[in-house]
Amino acid sequence: MRLSRILDVVNVSAGYGSEVILKDINFEVVDNDFIGVIGPNGGGKTTLLKLLLGEIKPFQGRVNFYPSSKDETLFGYLPQVSSIDREFPIKVMDIVLSGLMNRNGLIGGSGKQNRTKAIDILTIAGVDHLWNSSVGELSGGQLQRVFLCRALISQPRLLILDEPNTFVDNKFEKELYELLRELNRRMAIIMVSHDVGTITSYVKTIACVNRHLHYHRSNRITPEQLAAYECPIQIISHGKIPHTVLLNHNKEGQA
Amino acid sequence: MIALFKDILDYQFLRNALVAAFLVSIVAGIIGTYITSRRLVFLSGGITHASFGGIGIAYYLGVNPIFGAIVFSILSAFGIEALSHRKSMREDSAIGILWAFGMAVGIIFIFLTPGYAPNLLSFLFGSILTVTNTDLLSLLVLNVAVICFFIIFYKPILYIAFDQEFARTQKIPVAFFNYILIAFIAIAIVLSIRVVGIILLISLFTIPPATANIFSNHFGRIIFWSILLSFLGCFMGLIISYGMNIPSGAAIVVVLVLLFGIVKVVVSSCNWFKRRSSMAQ
Repeated sequence: MRLSRILDVVNVSAGYGSEVILKDINFEVVDNDFIGVIGPNGGGKTTLLKLLLGEIKPFQGRVNFYPSSKDETLFGYLPQVSSIDREFPIKVMDIVLSGLMNRNGLIGGSGKQNRTKAIDILTIAGVDHLWNSSVGELSGGQLQRVFLCRALISQPRLLILDEPNTFVDNKFEKELYELLRELNRRMAIIMVSHDVGTITSYVKTIACVNRHLHYHRSNRITPEQLAAYECPIQIISHGKIPHTVLLNHNKEGQA
Repeated sequence: MIALFKDILDYQFLRNALVAAFLVSIVAGIIGTYITSRRLVFLSGGITHASFGGIGIAYYLGVNPIFGAIVFSILSAFGIEALSHRKSMREDSAIGILWAFGMAVGIIFIFLTPGYAPNLLSFLFGSILTVTNTDLLSLLVLNVAVICFFIIFYKPILYIAFDQEFARTQKIPVAFFNYILIAFIAIAIVLSIRVVGIILLISLFTIPPATANIFSNHFGRIIFWSILLSFLGCFMGLIISYGMNIPSGAAIVVVLVLLFGIVKVVVSSCNWFKRRSSMAQ
């Protein structure tokens, strides 16, 4: 597999209305990347994702995409579960099939082949028995799995996950990370997470967003990044066995 | 009741009323399912009342009130849709302002119009028995357009309604669909004013889908059952209004709510029995 650039962000400032949230950031994603995005609330993590997904346009600078072929699907996107109306009348099967929208066009049926594909991918995520359930019947973790299937069914080149570990139990979180590691052989992954501790043992590199972007091609959290994160609770050192080293913390009652 | 069927055969205004009820049921079932699924009920109420401003101005200018209502409702619908993408204004506040402003403009212009406004009450409370052939024809055209649009674009409509953000990442033209759909909502609302009137209109677009949603979680099936429930409500409401000599719009709404109550009770007790028998095992 050729390792080539998927996208790059050059000298970009972005935000909403008159508010500039990201200032002068530079960033690139190549094939096989596994980037963990961390940072304080309001620091611009979601804004960065929206920028990459093309939902907002930069005030300054450019975001360039480098598609390798015409019909490839660039993004698979897993939004925050909290942004979804859990009472909406839609079935799991339809949610997964909606991930094929940009391949199959706007009209016509889904086709038996695609439904089989959807069942296959639901089976990998362990939720195939739920194919005929509606959103309201799913737990948060089950919905996350279904959304992951929706993001994966188009075999994207870059998988973008927005806090996939909220609303899920430890067991699923571990399964999810193992699954992502497996998927990472076939696609690049960008994952936003609050969980600074765990992700560092799975991701290859860490990007810290707090108005500016601190990004080095390493999964070691630098002191500079920690300062930007403003709450250095724990730090990971990584060798053959990932382990967590807790640093001193200013607040009482914490390590 | 047999007398009513005989009258339906004999009188054209009764036949027209039934056809109107049928056509409105279809369009309200489809659009209503979309409205309730996307939680646009308040928005639709706002568009409905804002359209009264158009009716008032049309009276004043001496043009067809329905024409004025369509212009006003589409403009207000587009206005709210455009506003909802900016964070400068809370959407429900904007709807509230438009709601009252439309009614106020309508009242002022009707007051300024010399002479008595004969059909004013029929716009507020509906007058299904005075439906004209022009009304039926425009309803028919709207039905064909809405049915075709929903059959052809069923998937993108459903996916956008469920998760706009994801749909955008799939390169679906989300804004285009949103504007078309909100235009359909506005036109469907205005053409349904005849049947139940501005004050009761939201009932046709919310009660049947809400009733169907009690026993179905499938978008397409909710549409199907909404149409049936809506027509049943209109038909029975008409019979009652004819027999008891009460306003038809109010009779239709009461029947729709009764149907909602019956379905709710039946489904709840079925669930209760299922729960009890599964716990007994």
